[in-house]
Amino acid sequence: MGRYIIRRVLWVVVVMLVVTFLAFLIFYVLPSSKPENSFVGKAPTPELIAQVRKDLGLNHPAIVQYGLFVKRLFLGDKYGWPGLGFSYNTKSPIRDELISRFWVTFGLAVGAAIIWLFLGIVIGTISALRRRTAMDRGAMGFALLGVSTPVFFLGILWLFVFWKTLHWIPGTGYVHLTDDPVGYFTHMISPWFVLALLFAAIYARVVRGNMLDVLSEDYIRTARAKGLTERRVVVRHALRAALTPVVTLFGLDFGILFGGAVVTEKVFNLPGLGNYILDAAFQLDIPVALAVTTVTALVVAIMSLLVDIAYAYLDPRVTYS
Amino acid sequence: MRGKGLIAAIAVAGVTVALAACGGGGSGGSANTNGNTTSGTATKGGTYRMATQDFGFTGAFDPSAEYLGWAFTLYGNLLIRTLLSYNHTAGAAGNVLVPDLATSVPTPTNNGLTYTFKLKQGVKFGPPVNRAITSKDIEFAMERIATPSVAAQYGFYYQPVIKGMAAFLAGKAKTISGIQTPDDQTIVFNLTRPTGDFLNLMAMPASGPIPPEVGKCFTQAGAYGRDVIASGPYMIQGSDKVNIASCSAIKPMSGYNPTQRLAFVRNPNYDPATDSTKVRQALPDGFVITIDTNAKDIFDKIGAGALEGSPDDPPADIIAQYASNSSKKQFLKTNSADRTDFIYLNTTTPPFDDIHVRKAANFVMDKAALKLAWGGNIEGPVANHIVPDVMYKGGQFDPGDYNPYPSTNSAGDVNAAKNEMKQSKYDANKDGICDSSVCKSIFFMNRSVQAYPKMTPIIQSSLAKIGITLNPRELPTSPAYTQIQTPSKHIPIGANAGWGKDYPDPSTFLRTLFLGSNILSSGNTNYSLIGLTSAKAKQIGALFPATGVPNVDADIDKCTAQTGDARNSCWIALDKKLMETVVPWIPYQFRNNVDLIGPAVTAYDFDQSTGETGYAHVAVDQSKQSQ
Amino acid sequence: MTTGPDGRAGGSFGALLDVTGLRVHFRTPDGVVKAVDDVTFSVARGETLGVVGESGSGKSVTFMTVMGLVNRSYAAVSGEVRFLGRDLLTIDAEDLRKIRGDQIGMVFQDPMTSLHPMYRVGDQIIEAIRAHRDVSKDVARRETVDMLGLVGIPSPAERAESFPHQLSGGMRQRVMIAMALVLKPDLLIADEPTTALDVTVQAQILELIDELKRELDIGVALISHNLAVIADVCDRVMVMYAGRAIELGDKDNVFGRPLHPYTWGLLESVPQVGGHDERLVPIAGAPPSLIRVPPGCPFHPRCPHRFAPCDRDRPDLVERGGGHPDACHLTAESKRSLWAERQARRLAATS
Repeated sequence: MGRYIIRRVLWVVVVMLVVTFLAFLIFYVLPSSKPENSFVGKAPTPELIAQVRKDLGLNHPAIVQYGLFVKRLFLGDKYGWPGLGFSYNTKSPIRDELISRFWVTFGLAVGAAIIWLFLGIVIGTISALRRRTAMDRGAMGFALLGVSTPVFFLGILWLFVFWKTLHWIPGTGYVHLTDDPVGYFTHMISPWFVLALLFAAIYARVVRGNMLDVLSEDYIRTARAKGLTERRVVVRHALRAALTPVVTLFGLDFGILFGGAVVTEKVFNLPGLGNYILDAAFQLDIPVALAVTTVTALVVAIMSLLVDIAYAYLDPRVTYS
Repeated sequence: MRGKGLIAAIAVAGVTVALAACGGGGSGGSANTNGNTTSGTATKGGTYRMATQDFGFTGAFDPSAEYLGWAFTLYGNLLIRTLLSYNHTAGAAGNVLVPDLATSVPTPTNNGLTYTFKLKQGVKFGPPVNRAITSKDIEFAMERIATPSVAAQYGFYYQPVIKGMAAFLAGKAKTISGIQTPDDQTIVFNLTRPTGDFLNLMAMPASGPIPPEVGKCFTQAGAYGRDVIASGPYMIQGSDKVNIASCSAIKPMSGYNPTQRLAFVRNPNYDPATDSTKVRQALPDGFVITIDTNAKDIFDKIGAGALEGSPDDPPADIIAQYASNSSKKQFLKTNSADRTDFIYLNTTTPPFDDIHVRKAANFVMDKAALKLAWGGNIEGPVANHIVPDVMYKGGQFDPGDYNPYPSTNSAGDVNAAKNEMKQSKYDANKDGICDSSVCKSIFFMNRSVQAYPKMTPIIQSSLAKIGITLNPRELPTSPAYTQIQTPSKHIPIGANAGWGKDYPDPSTFLRTLFLGSNILSSGNTNYSLIGLTSAKAKQIGALFPATGVPNVDADIDKCTAQTGDARNSCWIALDKKLMETVVPWIPYQFRNNVDLIGPAVTAYDFDQSTGETGYAHVAVDQSKQSQ
Repeated sequence: MTTGPDGRAGGSFGALLDVTGLRVHFRTPDGVVKAVDDVTFSVARGETLGVVGESGSGKSVTFMTVMGLVNRSYAAVSGEVRFLGRDLLTIDAEDLRKIRGDQIGMVFQDPMTSLHPMYRVGDQIIEAIRAHRDVSKDVARRETVDMLGLVGIPSPAERAESFPHQLSGGMRQRVMIAMALVLKPDLLIADEPTTALDVTVQAQILELIDELKRELDIGVALISHNLAVIADVCDRVMVMYAGRAIELGDKDNVFGRPLHPYTWGLLESVPQVGGHDERLVPIAGAPPSLIRVPPGCPFHPRCPHRFAPCDRDRPDLVERGGGHPDACHLTAESKRSLWAERQARRLAATS
């Protein structure tokens, strides 16, 4: 087990190197990426361009820049550890900003995950148990709607109904949990639900499918033959088996949210990582884009590691190898 | 997209956001086309709340480096006082220089080479510096402009003009020989040549005082933006909590997070007696600008009274919604943004290397249809020359209805166009229709965003009337600019460009855009390549027609050296000369700035000098603000 | 007191399980599947009823219905299933649940898939105990370990901590049996308990069931398609075809003097116990669709001895003079001679 984890952690490092290298390649080396142009004003002189390139560290060959990037990442830079560099756009160290935004996205992801797991599991299970009833069709209709409704549309609709029309929730924006816990929840409840709805729909379908498979398993018949209550058959036996594969799905979805909740963050105006990387991409703020990519990749890699460990714990048939 | 233009409408790859809508213009006199008054009484107090999709600062809010028009607005209205300033009001009156830190606007001596400023007594820096502002603080700001690592992006305005600045820039001098500070209240500038717009440079934020004891701690470009020391009526929130005992003790001010929020509160050291209420009224107790990544949300919040305004342009549907509703119309504020939208014609590539073709194109263009594509007059009036009228002294282009290529309702005059085309070498049979192959399928660059694509068919059908057919290519803002700013691409015609002023002087159009010696191999903004020489053409990979290209460098240099009314007349004459005998563009629109304000705003004004809301003169009614 | 169709005493007491006129019809989009169609039989305490038939003959469904494991929302169930005097088809779900596992234990065909893969086997048995008895986990664990020992699992305390995938197929089936019997039920239903096991293990399991039956004095219903298994341990045999019982009697009678041509076919298609070098004769044709069961005798399309009434009149399972009930229109006399003839032919072919 210990050796397994060490091996997996080393693998995470390898994956991170590959991801950052590819990201680096895309951001720095691909043609038409001339970040210095944003800094030289309306009538740049060659001297000014050269100066800016030097300031931005663009005067080194790409491979040296990448080497410096990796070195700072592991050893830290003058702004602390991990060394994530200096934003072209804000002319400020990225590290603190990224950490503050990480927690925003983390809160968004955790809150949404709780809601979507709850909704997805409950709806999927009930659908499976009441297969082909009106309730099942209604739930699967909801799932189809959830999967096919774009988040931005849902978000705007949500704001229109609950903010502009009913005045149940405050407008968009972010309140720090430590500053105002109630405000935090009233501001986050909308993005949580809107983000969760899409996933809840997907998870409801997955859980329903898994449940239907599991319910036809012999061991469910055995459980019933033992005279267990139906609740126990469903929860302890069927759900336990049906949800184990969902753990894998969940781990990856949760990880990807760290760079992928862009639309939700944008619609609800949350200062999270998704907004950060989007703005960075538009402004060619390459160090920021690279830093967020790195963090997202790291979270995904860690989540997949956790999933594998958890899976082996949840399913005794799986062994560490 | 957004309304905040770079103060200079720079147009280089990568600044997609900032470039989308720089400035505008207003011909025919009054810029204040929609009334900048509001109902209610302007009272002190309250917080003026704004949101933007992103600050878009080009220099991280360090005044030495910052080049964004909206940042200029914040500095001049709220945070930084300069030797000279503007009244931060709408129309031509807002483009007039007035004394700010200086006791008066000086007249040059020594044949226009020496300017002496006297500073007012009793003007202090805000916390944590808390001391009187001296001439040394201005001198330090000037040195900072000439320090490459923190250089202002518009440093090129100062560097060739002030004596010794080039040497300081090159590291050959420890001080700028052309600047003297005989005492704390006096600063003297010696110039390399008579420069009529020098005083405008002294109203730009980079020339505002910076306390050396703080400024010297920031050697990296933009870093000072987190700790800008106030000299105006407001300071960045948290300024008073900053410890300046040593450089390492200085932490960023809490009121500014570059990706989330910027908040101004009253500067306790500001003495209104040293200022004029015409320049700054400073009515609200504070200003807060937050980042809201949801553009629609911003304008919904303004409508609901949860915000007072935004530096971003309202989306077209919001404008239409307000403009068509008589009770809501009062919340839309329309003013000339001193920006010209134009179709440029490359004088080095056929068929536009022939002036008759360029003239014919001007005659035939259906500007009325182009205006419709933009949504009508709310976006600004039709342009028939280069520099927006408001920028000329007194706000009048003379004559106001000047139009060298007149047509009924600006819909284009096909007969006049054909008469010009007949004189062209590309119309062999002289029927007024270009019959040369060079007129067929000409590459035409346009933007793929906003109203730009709607113009393509109009331009195509207009030019088709004189036998010119286009091969249009539409790209996003930034790549489209990259194409036309690279002369070696030989793009003959494009409608994707626009230009806004840096400061209210025609030179920021006519000198910056048409000086042959300024032509660059990339990032070039002299799209028509006026003043190109054959040597330079070879060097940058441009074409050079046998008949040569027109050159106005001498006219530009002549006007640059002039001052006062003579200068104004000189620029007007050059504007006309360009339109009549050079014909680099088909100008079609002087663009407006459209602001949407919230119901709690009881006073609104427009800062003509920067083309944004005049925050120095706004007021809010707290009782009408909602959350 | 009435007399059952097999001539034994039946009715409300005496027999442990009394099934009368059981019909299980599934509604499907293709039509009604008559999985069980009018089946009547009983199981007494201390006896083993063998139920034999091809797959799809309705034997499993019959006992799933007895256990209440057939989803009544898809299946129309009628008839009577009396267990210790109560009709399991009409009592409420909670009462049925209490009987299930406690008074009726069930062992399934495939031990590989019938245990939950994610729980320890001991815990699965403990769960069964605690579903019916209000005992502590420790008590339940002791009983579990005892029961695992009783079914012949070595070091049962350790084995109880194993996950199913860590056990062999035979061990798992012993676990299933232990689970089914740990609450000392009155009736054990074993549905193909040895099919998935190899031959030596198969014999051990059958022996185990037989031993436990005697030891615990329970009734056993052993479902199998394998006549050898039935012959080994059963007291009585019911032969099913197309959802119906077509022959029912003591083992010796059914195997010694089989009356139904289908039973003959079954007997000829397996090696005789103790026999050698015999020719195996599969039954010609395929089992009928349960949606369109042939009219008359359902076996008649495959029957080499069919005659006039077979495709019209449905023969009921009654005593027809052959010594035990069967459902074939042939006279008892013809049956005797035809079976003798077929046996002779078979012997001749072998030698």
